[in-house]
Amino acid sequence: MIEAVGLVKTYGRGRALDGLTFTVGKGVTGLLGPNGVGKTTLIRMLATVLAPDEGELRLLGRDPAGDRLEIRRRLGYLPQEPGYQRGFTVFEFVDYVAILKEMVERRARHDEVRRVIEEVGLTSVSGKRIRTLSGGMRRRLGIAQTLLGDPELILLDEPTVGLDPEQRLRFRELISHIGQDRAVVLSTHQTEDVAALCNRVVVLKAGRCEFEGTPEEIRALAEGRVWFSAEKSGVLSWRTGDGLFRNIGPAPEGARLAEPTVEDGYLLLLGGTAAEAAA
Amino acid sequence: MSTWHMDDGLAVRYADGELNPTLAASVEAHLLACDQCRSLLAPRVPRSRLDRVWAEVADAVDTPAPGPFERLLRAIGVHDHTARLLGATHSLRLPWIAASTVALLFAALASGETTRWGLLSYLTLAPILPVAGVAVAFGRDGDPAHEIGLAAPYSMFRLMLMRAAAVLTSSSALALVMGLGLLDDDWTVAAWLLPSLALTSLTLVLSSRFDPRHCGAAVAATWLVVVVATNLREPSLAMFGGAGQAGYLAITFVSVVLLFFRRKEFS
Repeated sequence: MIEAVGLVKTYGRGRALDGLTFTVGKGVTGLLGPNGVGKTTLIRMLATVLAPDEGELRLLGRDPAGDRLEIRRRLGYLPQEPGYQRGFTVFEFVDYVAILKEMVERRARHDEVRRVIEEVGLTSVSGKRIRTLSGGMRRRLGIAQTLLGDPELILLDEPTVGLDPEQRLRFRELISHIGQDRAVVLSTHQTEDVAALCNRVVVLKAGRCEFEGTPEEIRALAEGRVWFSAEKSGVLSWRTGDGLFRNIGPAPEGARLAEPTVEDGYLLLLGGTAAEAAA
Repeated sequence: MSTWHMDDGLAVRYADGELNPTLAASVEAHLLACDQCRSLLAPRVPRSRLDRVWAEVADAVDTPAPGPFERLLRAIGVHDHTARLLGATHSLRLPWIAASTVALLFAALASGETTRWGLLSYLTLAPILPVAGVAVAFGRDGDPAHEIGLAAPYSMFRLMLMRAAAVLTSSSALALVMGLGLLDDDWTVAAWLLPSLALTSLTLVLSSRFDPRHCGAAVAATWLVVVVATNLREPSLAMFGGAGQAGYLAITFVSVVLLFFRRKEFS
């Protein structure tokens, strides 16, 4: 679905992407990395909104430089801060995006609009103005427009930001459902999303691919390197609710081995970056 | 109760949609009350036609009614998908048009005074309104769903032109009606038309490189500076005379040509 080799994108003196290489197939792939690491730049590039300065990118087997329109017909995109015409109803907004997706024949377009609204569970509010919807409903509306035309590739930029735990749970349910028979790429800085949703993960660090594999493989990186102890130790360390320190790194004296999580593996990968962020 | 009933020929012609509207209405009125004719007609209506009509009815019932602005556009013959694309344009919505009307009204009332400053203020403001409207009709700040649109196959250049044309038409019509209604029927009340086209097309071509709002603000500010500087000593309408109009036409032409060559920048 996606093949990227040596992608570079520069803004002024800074390099948002610095030779990024990775591949994406069917299923849900998480782009994991701290804020400002280039995730949004990459997602916009995959959505054909931005072109790389250097490197090779193939989307759905095509070159976005030459086949941009064909790729756009086969992808759905939810930006990090999707804007909505707040005076539009749910139906009108999805219908508006359907027209932008070249669905001109009215009845077929309306059928498709109703289908995607139903798929995200918004049929009961189809005639409501967007300004009256909750944050969770707006996110689902954002997902609905990505499903128009049954695209092979769906790109979601930080889709779970700002959602409460219940909304997040429902959202994960929805994304795992739509990722069953297509490629879904979601960018996030939340390891819980990756652990709960993704069958593959790409970790970005300083504009490069630091890791590519499964969530289980990233978790396994921290196997035997996470400890509970009475004293602070390791690359990263924090006090837990029971008063003990959870340390990532070499074993401190008298420590007890802990079961690692995806987050532990991710923090180990980030190393100094994560320590700086924690400080 | 009527003793008249449809014959086979009439039923087939009705089922095929070949009856004129008056006769078809009579048949339908009769069908509402006649079991026998309904039974005669039912097997003669093609299944595909029934499915098509039913789908149309279901769509009409299930689809929320569009807002008043879209209904107005459809009433004047605009296609439904174009009406929806225009319905998403901020500067075609009621609050914007109301604000434009008030601004123009003040300028037109001022120009009703016999001083030249009055007419000059109207001729200066009228071209700025479409520029402002176009500047907020598209782009990252003007269109909330701009980023989603960028990744869609629909041509952003086409969308921009469509919205610009609609804004230009509505604001120009507004200024023209107000000018003709409140001012003398002197030709000078329409002398802002070419400046309006020139400033708007200039805004569009600059928007291929910079943010549309900044472009609109820069073009409007430059226009105001030029008008004030030219009329500082004594107000005159020289800028709106023959030579001035030729200049605005030239600016429009060059801008449109440049716009064509830079059309890909909008996607």
